[in-house]
Amino acid sequence: MKVTEEQLSAYLDGELPSKDMEMVDAALQEDANLQAQLDALMAADAMAQSGFAEMLKDPVPLALADAIRSAQPVEARPNDVMAANINARPKTPLWMGLAAAIALAVGGVGGYFTGFAQAPVQVAEAPAWLLDIADYHRIYSTQTRHLVEVGADEADHIETWLTATLGAEVRVANLSSHNLRFEGARLLVAAGKPVAQLLYTASDGSVIALCLIQSDEPNSGFKARNLGGFDMVSWGGAGANFVLVGDEGRSDLGVIAETAALDV
Amino acid sequence: MKTDLIAMLPRLRRFARGMTRSVSEADDLVQDACLQALNKAHHYDPTQPLDRWVFRITRNLWISEIRKRQVRLGQGHIPAEEASELVSKDTGETAFAAGQLQDKIAALPENLALVLLAVSVEGYSYAEAAELLKIPVGTVMSRLHRARKELANALAEPAGGHK
Repeated sequence: MKVTEEQLSAYLDGELPSKDMEMVDAALQEDANLQAQLDALMAADAMAQSGFAEMLKDPVPLALADAIRSAQPVEARPNDVMAANINARPKTPLWMGLAAAIALAVGGVGGYFTGFAQAPVQVAEAPAWLLDIADYHRIYSTQTRHLVEVGADEADHIETWLTATLGAEVRVANLSSHNLRFEGARLLVAAGKPVAQLLYTASDGSVIALCLIQSDEPNSGFKARNLGGFDMVSWGGAGANFVLVGDEGRSDLGVIAETAALDV
Repeated sequence: MKTDLIAMLPRLRRFARGMTRSVSEADDLVQDACLQALNKAHHYDPTQPLDRWVFRITRNLWISEIRKRQVRLGQGHIPAEEASELVSKDTGETAFAAGQLQDKIAALPENLALVLLAVSVEGYSYAEAAELLKIPVGTVMSRLHRARKELANALAEPAGGHK
């Protein structure tokens, strides 16, 4: 009995009746062409698995994860619930709105945000220095007495000292409009380069860090990431790349980054 | 459940893109499906895999969306099996990121790619894939074969040849 290619494909999945599985087994022993056909289907399957696996590396938009994280299930009639949630969710990613606001605010002064509108902010593959920043934040954000290296009362010195060390202008951003108090700064080393870490605390004690690293080719556009259990928003400015780091799930990181980008 | 859903997002997006062929539509669909899963969490049977349940929700939402579009377009009600054949058009977006393998998969018709994803990648049996995609088991078998055959032919093409 001739084995069809469709049966061969089902044989690959173990989906044939046992009698047919045995029949295909026997046919494969005797028919080199049939074995070659099976090999080709297996190669196609392997290719499909690799290709589909590649798709999992595609960055997940932070806005999508945030929408799920912040969803409030409602006890109500199913239709009402869906309608309410669908109407409430942001159809446009939060970061796109942020980008538009900043692009409007700084347009023409430096072109740092060129291309942002075409490139939606996503949870993207992280540059090496951000991995180090996440590690630093994990350690230093739990410190209380020794949170900073130089205190906020020496803000002028912090700016002079870190500007000279980094080779890029360091300015202490005023984030008080977000109820964030500047605590001071640290000098870090990330990806083999000096990094300024400006630390802020909220009234609940949570810590947000604004870090910058000198760059001859600053990034264009904003990128949101979740890295090492922290949310980050990074962007490029004059001669430096910046990143704002906070606890995972902070809904205000984007607007704080907006303020910081305009003030550094 | 939120944490599980967020961990599942890459797979859900991949599945949704297989249906919508549009990045933004896929993300909208995934978001709707996750919100519906959260709102209907009391219907979830914890003895069953959560991913299968959410995949089913995603698929049903997409079929429902396609039906609505057909009605809006004046084409009247269409059965689920036909709805599942329809994809959005002219979105101007690429459903899958660049890459040779992904290009070849993206070149597969939606109905073939979804069966391949469900069975060969997500590990669904033919019967489970039939239930998920709302098509007969025999159709799962024939589409799977066609999908593999098309990919095998693409593999056999000389390098730099037709995609």
